[in-house]
Amino acid sequence: MQIAVLSGKGGAGKTLLAVNLTNLIEGATFLDCDVEEPNGVLYFGNSFEKDNVYTKIPIIDNKRCINCHSCIDFCRYNAIIDFLGKVKVLPSLCHSCGGCKLVCEENAIHEEDELLGWINYSRIKSHKVYGGELKIGKETGVSIIAKLLDKIEVNEDSVIDCPPGNGCSVMESIQNADYCLLVSEPTIFGLENLKMVYDLTKVYKKKAGLVINKAVNNNDLIEKYALKNNLPVLGYIPFDRELALLNSKSEMVSNFKYKPYFMNILNQIREEVGR
Amino acid sequence: MIIVIPTKDVGEKSFVSDQLGRTKFFYVYDTEAASGRVFNNISKNENHGAGVKTVEFLLNRDADILITPRVGKKALDLLLETNVKIYQSNAKIAKENIKDFLNEDLEELY
Repeated sequence: MQIAVLSGKGGAGKTLLAVNLTNLIEGATFLDCDVEEPNGVLYFGNSFEKDNVYTKIPIIDNKRCINCHSCIDFCRYNAIIDFLGKVKVLPSLCHSCGGCKLVCEENAIHEEDELLGWINYSRIKSHKVYGGELKIGKETGVSIIAKLLDKIEVNEDSVIDCPPGNGCSVMESIQNADYCLLVSEPTIFGLENLKMVYDLTKVYKKKAGLVINKAVNNNDLIEKYALKNNLPVLGYIPFDRELALLNSKSEMVSNFKYKPYFMNILNQIREEVGR
Repeated sequence: MIIVIPTKDVGEKSFVSDQLGRTKFFYVYDTEAASGRVFNNISKNENHGAGVKTVEFLLNRDADILITPRVGKKALDLLLETNVKIYQSNAKIAKENIKDFLNEDLEELY
């Protein structure tokens, strides 16, 4: 079973849910796909093996280039431009699709590896823990996420801490998920962001359920939306100072009195997925 | 000398656009001919790299001066390698910005 934890906005509680669900599933692999802010691994310790992740960047051979602009016209990301009479590659815009190399009839383009980021790995108790980390200044960590997903073995339970939002990197993260767990705060802002991610899970035809985090007595707004849109509410995490304090010290709150909240959510996911 | 200004509307009486790469129009003024031309910004709806396409446009128009409220990092990195000078626009219309530039009343950014 693969559970992806996502939310429309940052700070909703994705990592809180993801690490604590992992904690409660014996042998589960944890993947931190939030490569721009990879803090999920901190809950599991501070000793990790680090592997480099590279991306391909086109290099122009100016001796062969005849300035025909085929590559410039082909690039949908405007990562190649005509600059002062020469063809210039802008690595920050490049998505490493390799198309420019294919369309170049002069064989003036080859690709070289460029460091994109890292995958941090550790084995903690029964869990394999992988955290993607995007190098500062890089714009997209989608290829790190793809490499992270490759780490999951067949029939292995896994929990994915997704990036916030509903962009490319979230789509990449949820593609193999059996279940999408949406986390939201009971605020108008939380609701608007929830709508965006719920729509995304529908596009991907994923089973989805909702957890309301920081729940007080103002959950109506989100509950009404969930009811109207057939989104099951699996549980609530209380707005609780002690919980927040423990969590801020990178403790797994499911090792404390809060365990039933997470166990209840997990049991419902298991029922929904049927495993 | 060629001066380029991103503008909200067509022509010299338009206000300066709030954006550079995603402006609707460019007003291109030639000081020697004392005449201006309007260009549609064909890159304004690009998903990526509207700023760098703007640099391409500036170079194709042989721009010497860019008067703009702001410039993004990717466009700036490229422009710093060129001879184009960048000046801070003010809240007046394009024509007045050009006048103020020629009177040396605009701040040179880069």
